[in-house]
Amino acid sequence: MSSTHATVAGRLDHDPRFREVLDRLVDLSERDYYNPYRLFEWPEALPQDRYWMTPELMVEHGTEVGSTLTEQQLRAISKWQSINFYSLNVHGIRELLHEIVARIHTADFVVPSAYFHHIIGEENEHMWFFAEFCLRYGGKIYPSRSMALAGPGIPEADHFLVFARLLIFEELVDVFNQQMAQDERLDPTIRKVNEVHHHDESRHIAFGRQMVAMLHEDLRQRIDAAGLRTLETYLKQYMRSSVDGLCEPLVYRDAGIPEPYAVRRRVLADPAHPAYVERILKRSISFMTTTGIFTSGLFEEPRAMEAVR
Amino acid sequence: MTDQTDLTGFDFILADLQSRYLRSRRTDAGQTPPTLAHDYDLIENRVLDSLAFVEFILLVEEHSGQEISIDSVSKEDFRTVDSLRKRFFDGS
Repeated sequence: MSSTHATVAGRLDHDPRFREVLDRLVDLSERDYYNPYRLFEWPEALPQDRYWMTPELMVEHGTEVGSTLTEQQLRAISKWQSINFYSLNVHGIRELLHEIVARIHTADFVVPSAYFHHIIGEENEHMWFFAEFCLRYGGKIYPSRSMALAGPGIPEADHFLVFARLLIFEELVDVFNQQMAQDERLDPTIRKVNEVHHHDESRHIAFGRQMVAMLHEDLRQRIDAAGLRTLETYLKQYMRSSVDGLCEPLVYRDAGIPEPYAVRRRVLADPAHPAYVERILKRSISFMTTTGIFTSGLFEEPRAMEAVR
Repeated sequence: MTDQTDLTGFDFILADLQSRYLRSRRTDAGQTPPTLAHDYDLIENRVLDSLAFVEFILLVEEHSGQEISIDSVSKEDFRTVDSLRKRFFDGS
């Protein structure tokens, strides 16, 4: 049963389970510590005639656009879509590092700060190998599309939203990492990058889930039902827009596909796209629903609180 | 929503912003929809927010014909219709 705490720090301080999880994660990070700069072999080039992404995870899969593309075009798209995927990781990690660095050893985050050091160190290394992959095999990192403008306008939810966004991003990436690490159609270097990232991210996700669940529990004491519904709507839009970011016109342009912006619109408007979004976000949606952060489906309006109870 | 299908370039962006502007305001039925002033603050008044920005920048890119690096633009470029026109559509 939840109890009211005066501060976020109070909530985090008084949860013995959270402390246990943090101690375990610090131990695992220390035990599994590795040198990423020496871990990868980085061959001169990767084969151009193979898939660079698991075809079933590509955003065109199952759409009308996908069915009109040749095998050769799909493979070309898979190369540039993978460069975009790792570029999104680079930009996502920049935001993550920025937010964690802003919170480490501050009053609200005394308890998790020891683990924040591991996250910062590990994420810096992930950013390095994702950037290395993009620059070696794509000759560039695709530009970020996001700019920090107004959010949902609920200042009390600042910490919660930061950790919820980071968790959504990590879980989304991990769906790809997990599957691509085991996909024998992909080059061993691609599989290795995905495998190493998945290994570290499983710890970050375990931490993120604890954090987000606790911060939401805390928030339920602080804001009203309308505020919670606003946050739910915002996070659902954020999740859908994160998946849509995988569909990038510059990818189609670099793969030699004509009218790249129109192709993107057609893929996102395809009747098969919502099911793709739900498939990719399945784990995140399940977590958000179990913790009560979501009261309805990803494409539905939040339910009124009376209906939830 | 405004029919934008026949519009191109800056006219498309203007029509898109007008639609976003109307959605951001509550207009009573029967009331004449207000027209977006070209010096109206799109960011302060939440016509463009963090989530909408990603789709919007792709539209600006498509209709201005120039690839936009986020590192070379600022919030100020997107603040008003006038600043958008000046930064991305000057001469069009």
